[in-house]
Amino acid sequence: MKLTRVGDSQEIDAEVTSRDGNMVRVRIGDRELVVEFTPNADGGGILAIDGRRYPVYGARRKESIFISVGPASFEFKPAEASSRRRARGLAAAEIVAPMPGKVLKVMVRDGDLVEAGQALVVIEAMKMETTLAAESAALVKHVRVAEGDAVDHGAVLIELSPAPASSTRESAPRA
Amino acid sequence: MARLTKLLIANRGEIALRIIRSARLFGLKTVAVYSAADAKSVHVGAADEAIAIGPPEAAKSYLDIAAIISAAKQAGADAIHPGYGFLSERPEFAQAAADAQIVFVGPRPEVMAALGNKVAARRIAVAAAVPVVPGIEAAEISAAREFGATVGYPILIKAAAGGGGRGMRVVAEAGQLETALEAAAREAAAAFGDGRIFIEKYLAHPRHIEIQILGDDHGNVIALGERDCSIQRRHQKIVEESPAPGLSEAMRAKMIDAALKLARAAHYTNAGTTEFLVEGDNFYFLEVNARLQVEHPVTEMRFGCDLVCEQLRVASGDAVSEPAAPSGAAIECRINAEDPEHDFRPATGTVLHLSVPGGPGVRFDSHLVRGAEVTPWYDGLLGKLICYGADREEARGRLVDALGEFALLGVTNNAAYLRDIIASEQFRDARLSTHFIDEFFSGWKIASGEIDAAIVAAAITAGDTQAESAAPRASNDRHSPWDSLHNFELWGSRR
Repeated sequence: MKLTRVGDSQEIDAEVTSRDGNMVRVRIGDRELVVEFTPNADGGGILAIDGRRYPVYGARRKESIFISVGPASFEFKPAEASSRRRARGLAAAEIVAPMPGKVLKVMVRDGDLVEAGQALVVIEAMKMETTLAAESAALVKHVRVAEGDAVDHGAVLIELSPAPASSTRESAPRA
Repeated sequence: MARLTKLLIANRGEIALRIIRSARLFGLKTVAVYSAADAKSVHVGAADEAIAIGPPEAAKSYLDIAAIISAAKQAGADAIHPGYGFLSERPEFAQAAADAQIVFVGPRPEVMAALGNKVAARRIAVAAAVPVVPGIEAAEISAAREFGATVGYPILIKAAAGGGGRGMRVVAEAGQLETALEAAAREAAAAFGDGRIFIEKYLAHPRHIEIQILGDDHGNVIALGERDCSIQRRHQKIVEESPAPGLSEAMRAKMIDAALKLARAAHYTNAGTTEFLVEGDNFYFLEVNARLQVEHPVTEMRFGCDLVCEQLRVASGDAVSEPAAPSGAAIECRINAEDPEHDFRPATGTVLHLSVPGGPGVRFDSHLVRGAEVTPWYDGLLGKLICYGADREEARGRLVDALGEFALLGVTNNAAYLRDIIASEQFRDARLSTHFIDEFFSGWKIASGEIDAAIVAAAITAGDTQAESAAPRASNDRHSPWDSLHNFELWGSRR
């Protein structure tokens, strides 16, 4: 199956190819690993790979697969879920809130032309400011939020459309 | 002064729990307050009483002075401990408590007002002949430009009322000044309700070393050694230790002397921390944190004391006395809900599994339990792991092992990052400065072996739902009304 690590766009192709007791064969891309997985009483287990033993825990929740390896924490999603999100318009067509928070500042207006890397909106979450920028040159189709708005994780803040081919570096004039 | 009987803790999370524990030891009844987002939090159950004070928004709950004072009156509390953050350094909160005949466990409001403002605190330091970093009190862009041109870039912009790195900006060149001033003022206004800013010279390679002080109502002030808190990300401390490695006895004595002079000049009472930047043989006063610090446990472990109990003693009118000589070394690291591989982006989630380390010299101050929700409403501190040793290497070894035993499933966190820092030769060799992270740990990634292990575990977890339907399941236990986690399955629950 295809997985993506949350925060990473790269797809990982991984599957259990065979399982015999505690011995598990796993294919990751074109590599094959033979691992020994020994469950523990507390719901986790010990994963032995190449002579190293890792304490691991795993759980599925909603569409995520949560994994911990020692102190390292991971969240994976099936790639279908990620591409569904992209189909909904993540691919630079929309600026979405990466987490719940408050809109502190909106730097653009409908009709503005923006450059790659240009700051569009600042949100505050967990007492930290995060600036969201355009991934590529674009035309601001619609600003959906105003300063002071509370927004949920994944909320669309700004809709973008491709910048017109003839566009100059200047933004549309402001009132 | 009348003896205290009942303490309201105006905070949440690990610090609320930590204060409740000491208050109980001190013989006090405890009252927790909580927002709607924290109704199921551990501190609520740990106290003798708990009072809901408002919705999740901090401004309408943990920052609502009237709501907290009214809860204290309702419960008949005769003292309030503010913890750190939230209202802990708001003079108007200390004043409101005093007005309600409730003892505030902290400095007097006028002392807090003087020290809480960086600009005013700096004036007190200068008057007490304590060295300060060159800087100006200015919000005007023209004055800022002139200062930048005089001392040279980079320069540092801070919130006058600030703390915890919020509202702080490093300006590398004149061209960035205006934007940075604006952002700093906005962040300061949002975080502290006070948009005034302060500009100072940016030291190239400083260490952050602070002195713990404790003053009483009889004019005595003592110092409880130093803490080195140089390792910071986004200007927020993530690793703290005591003693400060390599700090000479002479420097330590000078810094303690300066901290005590400043505390006496300010008529300081209760626990506080004087922060300094240290570069070479020079040290510069930074600010006073007029409250208990997040990192106070490293001091407790070396001095064998309980600083919250000391605070309660002072608040009861007792005098402080010189502490016994400290021994050993202690190191703390802050486990935060954040993604160190992606610019420390804050994370939220539900704790699906928690493994807590143990053993001699290991202390874990945390409010985490299985099922706890980490919400976006408050800061992301999940817990503090503190290790003590006869010397720094023993403490460091214990901390590396303790972090290795730690596991938190369901909330992205920085524990593996902290383990790699504590285990690094740069940390072993104490190559400490506030640029430690930038110099040695920018672009950090989880080791490839651990990523492989995670992918394998993910593949097994994903495969498990399709296969193994014939495996015996305990059908009742996951439908328990007590278990809020019945909608997910750990591997073990199906075996």
